[in-house]
Amino acid sequence: MKASTRSVLPRVIPAALLVTLALAGPWLIPHAVDKPVTMPFGEPGHGAPLGGDQLGRDVLSRLLAGGRELVLSALLIAVVVTAVAAVVGTIGALRPVVGRVVERAADMLILLPAVLGVMLVALSWPGGGRLAVIVAAVALGLPYAVRLTAGAAAPVAASGYVEAAAAGGERLWFLVVREVLPNLRATLLALLGLRFVEAVYVVSMAGFLQVGPQPPAADWALMIRENSSGILLNPWAVIAPSAAVGLLALSVNLAAAALAPQTGRKAATLL
Amino acid sequence: MDLTRRQLLVAGGALGATALLAACGGGGDAKSTESPGSGAEKPRKGGTLRVGALGRASAITRDPHGTQSNESDYLIISLVYDTLTVPGSKPNTMPRLAAGWKASDDLRTWRFTLAKGATFHDGSPVTAADVVFSLKRLRATPSGASRLPGIQARNITAEGDDTVVLVSDYANAELPLLTRLTTFVVPEGTADDDIAKAPGTGPFKLDWFRGGNARLVRTPNWYGGDVHLDAIEVKIFESPQAMANALLAGQIDLASNAGAVAARSAKSRGDIQTVRRPNDMAVPIVMRTADGPFADPKVREALRLAVDRKAMVEQVLSGYGTVANDILGTGDPAYAKSIPQRTRDLAKARQLLKEAGFDTSKTYEILTTEDISGLAESATLFATQVREAGVKVKVVKQESAVFWDSTWLKGDLYTTYWGTNDSVVFFASKTMVSDSGQNEAGWQDTAFDTAYQKAIGTADATRRTQLLQEMQQIEYDSSGYLLWGMADGVDLAAAKVRGLPTLPGYGRVQLEKTWLAS
Amino acid sequence: MAGQLITQTSVPTAPTAAVPWGPRARAATTRIALVLLKRALLLAALLALVFAGVELLPGDAASATSERGESAADLALRRHALGLDRPVLERFWDWMSGLPTGDLGTSAHGERVADLVTTAFPNTLVLSGTALLLTALLSVTLASWAALRPEGRLDRIVTGASTAVFAVPEFVVAVALVLVLSLWTGWLPAVTLTDSDGTPSSWTMLILPVLALTVPQTGWNTRIARAALADEARAPYVEAAVFDGLAPRRVLLLHVLPGALPTIAAGLATSSGVLLGGAVAVETIFNYPGIGAVLTSAVADRDTPVIAGVTMLAGAAITVVLLVADLLRDVLTAGRR
Repeated sequence: MKASTRSVLPRVIPAALLVTLALAGPWLIPHAVDKPVTMPFGEPGHGAPLGGDQLGRDVLSRLLAGGRELVLSALLIAVVVTAVAAVVGTIGALRPVVGRVVERAADMLILLPAVLGVMLVALSWPGGGRLAVIVAAVALGLPYAVRLTAGAAAPVAASGYVEAAAAGGERLWFLVVREVLPNLRATLLALLGLRFVEAVYVVSMAGFLQVGPQPPAADWALMIRENSSGILLNPWAVIAPSAAVGLLALSVNLAAAALAPQTGRKAATLL
Repeated sequence: MDLTRRQLLVAGGALGATALLAACGGGGDAKSTESPGSGAEKPRKGGTLRVGALGRASAITRDPHGTQSNESDYLIISLVYDTLTVPGSKPNTMPRLAAGWKASDDLRTWRFTLAKGATFHDGSPVTAADVVFSLKRLRATPSGASRLPGIQARNITAEGDDTVVLVSDYANAELPLLTRLTTFVVPEGTADDDIAKAPGTGPFKLDWFRGGNARLVRTPNWYGGDVHLDAIEVKIFESPQAMANALLAGQIDLASNAGAVAARSAKSRGDIQTVRRPNDMAVPIVMRTADGPFADPKVREALRLAVDRKAMVEQVLSGYGTVANDILGTGDPAYAKSIPQRTRDLAKARQLLKEAGFDTSKTYEILTTEDISGLAESATLFATQVREAGVKVKVVKQESAVFWDSTWLKGDLYTTYWGTNDSVVFFASKTMVSDSGQNEAGWQDTAFDTAYQKAIGTADATRRTQLLQEMQQIEYDSSGYLLWGMADGVDLAAAKVRGLPTLPGYGRVQLEKTWLAS
Repeated sequence: MAGQLITQTSVPTAPTAAVPWGPRARAATTRIALVLLKRALLLAALLALVFAGVELLPGDAASATSERGESAADLALRRHALGLDRPVLERFWDWMSGLPTGDLGTSAHGERVADLVTTAFPNTLVLSGTALLLTALLSVTLASWAALRPEGRLDRIVTGASTAVFAVPEFVVAVALVLVLSLWTGWLPAVTLTDSDGTPSSWTMLILPVLALTVPQTGWNTRIARAALADEARAPYVEAAVFDGLAPRRVLLLHVLPGALPTIAAGLATSSGVLLGGAVAVETIFNYPGIGAVLTSAVADRDTPVIAGVTMLAGAAITVVLLVADLLRDVLTAGRR
């Protein structure tokens, strides 16, 4: 499994394209996302290549507009989780007490149906919308991520030069930022990719459960949910956003696996 | 799939039941299908009908006087137990366990005579004492005061073995109407712990109940007439889509309240019939009249003129509905058809807004929830339509519990829904009289109050109709409601099912006359 | 689902292999008891968290189950009837003290929670259990098959495909399955209907829900299994076996797979939690009579006893699976020492 540029590029391009399309989508829409152009669940045709949704709005336009926030929220979740996990995990490796607390939290959270966790956090903040889901996803994802980074940081923390620095009276933050973290780059990059895919799942699951983004917003997960009643009348209203979510997850996954350096890749597959 | 659907049986008064408008989606064909079996065909005896009804597993209740939020539970309960009266088309109150009723001259004391030969499923006869026990039990629940409005527990008494006397705190010409939906009768002395096992008097008796599903078998020699089916199996469905899928796959024979989109999906199927029950559900938009940006009647008039009602019915209800005229109670025999239909007039709407000095630079919020499908959609389309009259509206969808807690009765602009639409008086008493408990728009109008008081205190039918017309005219002119349309109830059934109920709202549970063709 | 990205599901414990058999068995029993106790305490803490969490939601069970038109006094009556006027700590304690007798409290609609879950929970166990078993079979088979020819075409396909499906939400898979295998072709029942005993009336009704849960999980576990096999293949004794001239298939089955099993088991154990979570969506779509549907609507009703009951059962089920995975790891590592 050599990670030469030649083999990396083809695996990164799909994700890059899809993410770009999702981000630029709202500027490309042929119709307004809130205006009916066909009858409800109207069949494709007449200026609506993917037909109409439950209110007869253009499915293609809503598909183009419905990815940006999903991608951005997933990205935000991935970055926050990875960043916090990197710092806390490293502290956990340097300070065993912190490590044990994180360990217990992770042990407890594994017993909690994640769906319940997302609902409790998101519903306790009415009007929080997408932000509430982001908070929930970060809160639920952190303990596992911290456990992983702590595991990866432990050998580094135990290595001679870090111990020497610690014995030399260096402060904790210095040890974390200057000595340990730089050695975790590969693991963190792999973690970031997987967290992104994971976040796509959580955010779209939240959409399915009706917490997070709310109608009439155009959002892929919402589209799947609100249009599934008309799946026999216009299947595209459900298939198109489903495919979008699936392809996004797939392509980012491929890219993450390709980008992660050799040492990190094992972590990525074995997380 | 509506995870937050709640209070399907929102019984404001005995009859405020909110029918569930399942899977209403959008517009299209509008040709009604007659339910077969109303004609000359002779009913065949026998067979088991598999009925799908909506409900949530965690919300299951077996108590006929409990908080019912599952249609499936309500269907089972109303087939096993009887109420004093049941919904009808004309008149809208028909006898059931009460064979007849009579009011005193002051319209406060009502005597209900029990049907001859009515027995519980264990064979014991139904007495007035059983009815009094049941009504008092109902009255003692937290929702008792709203289910039996104006009737205090001590004013429910028996007179002999077959007469029950209800005394209302005020004159009420429509009291029998209040006993239609929740006055289920159980034997006197039934303990709360045994309520699920209490024998009923209905056309079917319970064979088994498990996790919201049930099998009911025919009551032999039912006092109410011939029952054709051997048995009814009720299947609980969390989502309208799953229920429609079950019907399409032939796993059930009747999908109760399957909705317009399901009906359109099944249109090409020759083996599936669609039953449309007009005036099933009102989904009005409430504009607060007491204060706030919509307090000026001109502003409310402008919004009423800004909506394209026909487009709303086409897009939100898939055409499975009718255009309405801002008057609630469209199924009432006394509904004022003579009042001219409001149509879209953007120029006039703009002019009225200008006259009222309405601030069009601001963005207003319309609050909605997803208890029933169609609600959030109607708010969305409303926002799109009124923008053409220069009013900027943003849709805010709230979780059900939050909506009912903080928006309902308080918000400036929000969606609501009502499932019982066959009585003008009902809506007046619940939502429009100044001191009504559910005055959704905070509306106060002395002329309306006076007309209402006169109407419920008037025994003479012609005079009452006049007063009812007067009330409706005031409501049309100045109430806080924007009622753009009425949704049809849409049931789907296999081709062999005959004699299906066609009444709106909770009339759809009347399956005792249903039968299966061979 | 948030738990998916780990395989080590519990703290690694000290190896017990060095101790002679008799005391070792005793030590193992003590250890299991300790692990159980620890997990029970964690579960109790989680339940407290759930009680507190529901408390923080806007509205309460009384207002969520009230009917339109109830006055403030009616609402207070309802609140009192549901015991919501008592402090949350007291209600938590009451609920917990009912646990040993199997009393899970009463729902906001007046039904016994134990009744609500005794039908639903076994159904969910059957659904997730079957899915877990199928996931285990499929992922180990696929991974082993791919591992026989590392970097071969098959390996690439398996690795690629498993990457492709593991992040696709279950509800997307479910919707696609209903559309294709039921509504378009009519091959399988679209929804699950139940008999008088509360179980699905035909086993064919289980196929689509199980598949919807299995597909994403198989993707995930195949990746883990494939990686674990690759790791193990580099172990010295495996290389020794290869040098001895054993057939690749034999090496894989006798030497590589046993060594990789603890990691694979840990991965599957993690999946059990995810399966229970995914069951929520899948049960709704297929009208499957399990606890997933009970859970979501109980949250909408702020129905704390129901939510706590479901959490407790789900937590207990996951605990058992984790424990089995731990034991398996211990036994296998002990056997290899």
